[in-house]
This record gives sequence, structure tokens and C-alpha cells, in this order.
Amino acid sequence: MKGKLAWRWGLIFAVTAFAVYFMLPVDKRIHLGLDLKGGIHLVLQVNTRDAVRAEVDDAMERVRGDLTEKGFAPASLQRLPDGDGFQLTPAAGTTNKALDKVIDDRLPEFKVSRGVNVTATLKPEVVRSIRDMAVRQGLETIRNRVDQFGVSEPVIQRQGIEGDRIVVQLPGVDDPARVKDLIRSTAFLEIKPVVRAAPTEEALLATSGGKVPDDCEVVAGDIEDLEGRISGKEYYLVKRASVVSGRDLRNARRSQDQYGQPAVNFTLNPEGANKFGAYTAAHIGDRMAIVLDNKVRSAPTIRGHITDSGIIEGNFTVQGAEDLGLVLRAGALPASITYLEERTVGPSLGRDSVNRGLTAGLVGLILVAAFMLVYYKGAGINANVALVLNAVLLLGAIGALSATLTLPGIAGVILTIGMAVDSNVLVFERIREELELGKTVRNAVALGFSRAFATIIDTHVTTIVSALFLFQFGTGPIKGFAVTLTVGLAISMFTSVFVSRTIFEALLARRVQVKTLSI
Amino acid sequence: MRFFHNTKIRFMEYRWHWIIASTVLNLVAIGLIFIGPGFKYGVDFAGGTQLTLKFKTEPDLGRIRKALEALNLGEVSIQRFDETALHQILVHMQNPKNQEGDFTASMLQALEKEFGGGRQQIEVNLQGSDALRDALAQADPDKVGGSIDERRVHYKPMTDEILGLRKRVGIIGGAEDLRGLASLSPAVRSHLGSNAHFGEFALLAAENVGPVVGKDLRQKAIYAVSFSLLGMLVYIWFRFKLQYGIGAIVANFHDTLITLGALVVTGRPINLPTIAALLTLVGYSTNDTVVIFDRIRERLKLERGKPLITVMDDAINATLSRTIITSGLTWVVVLALFIFGGDVINTFAFVLVIGIVVGTYSSMYIASPIALGMSNWLDKRRAARRHR
Repeated sequence: MKGKLAWRWGLIFAVTAFAVYFMLPVDKRIHLGLDLKGGIHLVLQVNTRDAVRAEVDDAMERVRGDLTEKGFAPASLQRLPDGDGFQLTPAAGTTNKALDKVIDDRLPEFKVSRGVNVTATLKPEVVRSIRDMAVRQGLETIRNRVDQFGVSEPVIQRQGIEGDRIVVQLPGVDDPARVKDLIRSTAFLEIKPVVRAAPTEEALLATSGGKVPDDCEVVAGDIEDLEGRISGKEYYLVKRASVVSGRDLRNARRSQDQYGQPAVNFTLNPEGANKFGAYTAAHIGDRMAIVLDNKVRSAPTIRGHITDSGIIEGNFTVQGAEDLGLVLRAGALPASITYLEERTVGPSLGRDSVNRGLTAGLVGLILVAAFMLVYYKGAGINANVALVLNAVLLLGAIGALSATLTLPGIAGVILTIGMAVDSNVLVFERIREELELGKTVRNAVALGFSRAFATIIDTHVTTIVSALFLFQFGTGPIKGFAVTLTVGLAISMFTSVFVSRTIFEALLARRVQVKTLSI
Repeated sequence: MRFFHNTKIRFMEYRWHWIIASTVLNLVAIGLIFIGPGFKYGVDFAGGTQLTLKFKTEPDLGRIRKALEALNLGEVSIQRFDETALHQILVHMQNPKNQEGDFTASMLQALEKEFGGGRQQIEVNLQGSDALRDALAQADPDKVGGSIDERRVHYKPMTDEILGLRKRVGIIGGAEDLRGLASLSPAVRSHLGSNAHFGEFALLAAENVGPVVGKDLRQKAIYAVSFSLLGMLVYIWFRFKLQYGIGAIVANFHDTLITLGALVVTGRPINLPTIAALLTLVGYSTNDTVVIFDRIRERLKLERGKPLITVMDDAINATLSRTIITSGLTWVVVLALFIFGGDVINTFAFVLVIGIVVGTYSSMYIASPIALGMSNWLDKRRAARRHR
């Protein structure tokens, strides 16, 4: 009997020590959810169609280039309305041989059907892999940006394995608007040759008969006055194909322009520097447009041979320039992004709700503890020890699992503590019943525990079963509820059956003759 | 001390009264949900953008409404949040039809325009510490000189302290509120006094749920709840008998419906945390029910031949003190949360304050009678079959 009690105590102390180790220091180990601590939770969708479209555009440009080189510039070349293919009308007299060669060389990833026109659509598996790559790359880019921004403990995850959604959680951010802009910014930088510029779109296209030439596009940009205020718009006709793009960047950081205004300086990698050097050397006196996210930032005239660096000017604040440098360094997003869900909780609201919830919870618990003492006297102490231990073990488990405690999670904790108290009440009431039937104290305690045990198992397992389903199918808050509930119930079974019983038996073991029990 | 000792209440005898009363209550709840005012879905399920704003003084709700309706995006609803003295407002705006996207920025801009006329360089109540630091570094009231980065280092502790103050109090009334901040130099103080704008409101929280996620959340919540109820049913079926499982589930529906009815009556929103609260209630109610079923099972083994109806009465009486004590204690805890817990968990606590009462009642007066009725019906059918 003595030996049996000894190992029971040993186990209880070991478990408690384990829990205390994992819960301390509380503010480091117990992670509060964004609803309690403040921060941003974002669900964003990577518009993977953009990436597919870009792939199709690339292929179209390659086909155009090849055919034009052979002297058969296509009569028309247009993207299909749903974006994953294009239609080509060859120029009159295009030889089959030339067309075959271009298709073989340039369109291995397309399903091509030929009639009078050539229709090429991306193969489904290619589309799938482009989309997947776009999401993965988006994830990586956002992670880079957030890392450079210096948020502690960020969570950046893809939702589901094949999904196009990304979840971003940033605790303790005090300027959500800035962070959102930073994440959303596509940051796609291109440097393109300028054909001509004009203050209106009509004037721009007047010389080409109101039509945009096939290999060009129109991009707008703001005009600034000397004080950096936007005073109007300028339209640029630029070549579709860029000289260099964000992919050729090696670095980008905030600097100053010649007037001391914030600007962004960039350097190119060797490959980009080669292309850029060759182009600028051949086009001195021409203009080139620095296009960021489809907007012309500036359109300087090439004054000399430039190789590996450049500057982006135009109406930046210090922070704006810094942020642009950051997103350029971190890389462009492969596709645009839509925010599907956003939750920002200010730290003051979070802190307030924690404080008030804790106060109220403590008031409640103290009332419960007081009642147990008054109603069950000596046994009440036993129950309260079990209750405190329950709380410690639960915190330890949350720390060990590095789970986050959210408001619904606290709901789970409350339900757990309620059931732990209930288990004690069940046992004590049972012991009282048995004593009333005239059983000896030892017998009554043993019977009380063994009879109540079945009930306790049933109530706990029923709730655990439902909690497991909630965990499987629930989202965010419901999942948090399920986690604390499941863990808490397992602990509650341990404290109310094992710990409580051990205390009773230890008390009884000391006395030889037991006539009374304080219950 | 003992309460409810050796009671001999004949719970089953009047079961029809209670079943009828409950049915009426449930019908009323169904009416409230499907015919009457109906659910008020919170931003989680309805979608849209919800801002929690704190104003310096009691704001004119009409002006807020006018400013937001001028955006012409979606339906606007405005309500007070928490105690009146805190001047906190909850603004909800629907997304324009089926449109994804985040409308926080445009809503804030509209409100800024209405309550202060356009953004100034230093917006103490809206900007983050980095933006404030950069504004100070550029103006450089302390004449630190050097590069912008050196100046930033100099001003950082000051803006951190200002932001710390804002986090504590929610909104900073004016330059005089900065007096207690030790890190601010006199020059910075006077610079802020003349250049900073202490806007009329600060943003405490913003939530935006687009149509896709809203639909998703609804669907997943329904799945989660249905499957967990099903799991419970199967477990009780396995441990007891099918009729007991059904009794427990009917009791759960009963509790949930009545509580939902109470939510409709009080105009409280249905959100994800509300669902968590309803699930907590289901957990409590089932717990109570299982305790009673357990005692019934035990007695049925010990006292063979006794009619089920008497066994059930005995079981409920035997567990009555436990039922009342446990429910009473948990009720006290949630009542404390309801009264002192603040507005964030108020609806959560409300659900449990109502739910624990209903759940305790239903485990005695609904779950067991249903199990009894089904048992009797099954027995009769079995007897009839044997006859044939």
C-alpha cells in the first residue's frame, strides 16, 4: 500500500514539474492569440490567373519574334478571352515549315490546333504547375518582405496543400495599413524603351491611327511639380518587351536623388547588367520608362552607357522609399493579390479584454473554491488542490504544445474547469451516499471513486469525441476551442480521478482507525 | 451541509407538461429565427468590413453614417460598443455585391475627412510608431543633424513612448496628454503641439471578411457542429443505447434552439466565438445528461424488474444535488464573466448564462423522457412482433 502511494506521488510530482517547466515564464511560453494580444490576421488569395496570363504573353512575344525574324510577322496575335491560350493568324504566305519550326521550338507546353488560324492553349498540367508555382513563389516573397520588416513570430502559411490562399498572422503590429500595402504591393519593376509620350491617350495614339501597335502598350505616369506634388498625368507608349525587369535585380535600397529627395537606388545582377549595358550603349539619347506595377515612375533620357545600377525617383516619403527598396529586394509577386479576410485587433482592445476576462474569471473561480470549502469542508481542500493543479497542468500543456490561447480557447478552458469541478462533485456526492448507506470510510471512498469513475469517463469521452470532430472540421477559433478542450479534459480526468484519490488515500493511510471523514 | 438531500421528486410523472412547454418555447424560437427578426449575423458570416473606433467625445452617429454612406459601397450599420463613457463605436459595412477586397482604408479616409479634414503630416491617433518617427526625423525639432538614419535613432524612443501611451488609453486627447512622457524633449513637445494632429478617433480593431471566406466559414461551422453532434450520438449509442443517444441529441437541439432564440430577441450577433459558446453549452448539457443516464444504467443493473420510469426518477433524484451544485457553480462563473468580463466576451457569457439554465433543465426533463418514450415504443414493437 505504502509503495503504491509512493509511485503515485512520484508520478504527480513528475507531471507537475514537467508542466511548470513548460509554462514558465508565462509571458514567453503562453502565446496569446491575435484577438487577445493585438495584431493582424490576413487571408489573401494569389490571383494565379495573372501568372498563367504572363506565361501566355511571354510565349506570344517569342512566337512573334521568331516569325518576324523569318519575315512572316503575324497578321494578328491575340490572347484567348479566358487567358490560358492565344490565337495566331499567320501572315499571308507564311510557309508551313516556318510555322512548324516555331511551334516546335516555342510551344512545347501548349496544345496546338491548326486550321486557318493557329490556336494554342496551355496544357492543363502546365497550368496547374504554373498556378502552384505562383502560390509558392508568392508565399516566399511575402515571407521575405515580412522578415525584412522585422515582425516577431510571424505566421505565413499556405491554406491547404493545393489552395491559392495564404494566411499571414503578424502579432503586435502598430501600423496595419502600412503592412498591408507592403504585402499587397506586387513590386513588379520593368524598364522599357519609350516610343513616345503625350499628355493624353488620344494624342499619344494619333500618329498610329488611334491603335496601339501590336508590340507596344500604353502606360500612364504622374507628373510632379518642383515640390513633389502631383500636377497631372503623362501617357507613354512603350515596347511590350522590357530591357530588364525585377528578376534582374541584385539589390535595391533607399537613397537620395540630386535634389536630396528620397529615391530608390538599385543594382543589377551580372546578366541584367549585360543586357542593360548593351541597350543603353546603343540607345543614347532615347528615353526609357521605369515602370513599377504598371505605372511609369519616371522616364529619363539615356545620357550614357549604364551597366549595373540605376535610380527610381518620384514623390517618395522616406518611408515610402524604404518600403519600395524592401519589396524590390524581397522580390516581385508573381501575381496580384486580393484580400479575402482581414482582422486587425489593436493592442489596447486586446489588452483590455484580457484584463477584464481574467478578473471576471478569477472572481468566478474564487467563488467556486469558497463554495467547495464550505460545502465539502476538508474534502473541499482536496478538490481545490486538484483544481489548481488542473490549471497549472493546462497552462503547461499549452506551453508544451506551443498552442495559442484565443478567446474561444479560453471558452474551452472554462468548460474544462467546469467539468473538473463537476468530477469532484460527482465523487464527493457518491462518497456521501455510500457513507449514508453505512459503509466504512475506507470503503465509501473506494466505492465513491470507482462508481463515479464510469460516469467521469463517459462525460469526458463524450465531450472529447465531439471536440475531435470540431478540431478536424473547424476553422480558426473553433479549432482553438477544440484544442484546449481536448487537452483540458484529458488533464481533468487525471486530476479529478488520480490526484484527488491519491490525496484521499494518503490521508486515510496515516490513520489506523478511520471513523470520520470531513466531507 | 447538504442541499437537495433525499429528494423524491416525480420528474417523469409530469413529463408531458414539460415536453409541451419546451415544444412551445422551441416553436417560439424557430419563429423568431425563421419568421421574426431572424439571426443577426456578425461579420464572420455576413461578410463585410467592421471597424471598432474610439472617439474622444461622444460622436455624432448621424455624421458617421452620412460619411460612410457617401462612399456608396454597401449597407452601413452603426452601434455603440461597451460602456458609453468609453465612446466606442462599432461600424459595419457590407462589401459591394460579391466583391472581394479590403475596404478599411476607404472607410477610414471617409471618416478622417468628415472628422478633421484630410490627413496631416503627423496623425498621432492613426499612424504607427515608424511613421511618427520618420515625420519627426524629417522635421528634426531637436536639431540633431546627421543622416536620416541617425536622426531616426534619436527620435525612436520618443515615438515608442507616444505609441505606448496610445495603446494604454486607446486615444490621445491632445498635446497636453503627452506631458507625462519623460523621453520627449521640450522642442519635440512644442513641435508636436503646433504640427501634430490629434484626430477625433482612433482605430481599435478592423475586421474584413469577403464573400468567399464568409461562405467558407459558414459551411465549415455547420460541418464542424453537425459532425461533432453525430460523434456524440454514436458514442452514447455505443455506451448506452440508441434511445439514450437520441434523447441527448434532442436535448442538445432544444438547448441550442432556445439559446439562439434568446440571441435573436436581444439582437446579439452570431459570430465564430458565438458558435464556440454554443458548443460549450452543448458540452455542458451533454455532460449533465450523461451523468443521469449513467445512474439510470447502474440502477437498471442493480434493480432488475423495476419499471424504467421509476428507475429514471430515482436516478434523477439521486444525482439532483450534484446537478444543481455543478450547474450552480458554473453558472456563477459565467455570470461573473457576463457582468465583469467586458463587451468582447459578453455575448459568449450571455449564451452560457442562458444555456446552462436551459441545459440543466433539459437533461432532467427532456433527455430522459425522450429516452423513456423511445424505450417504451421499442418494447411495444418488440412485443407486437413476438405476438405475430
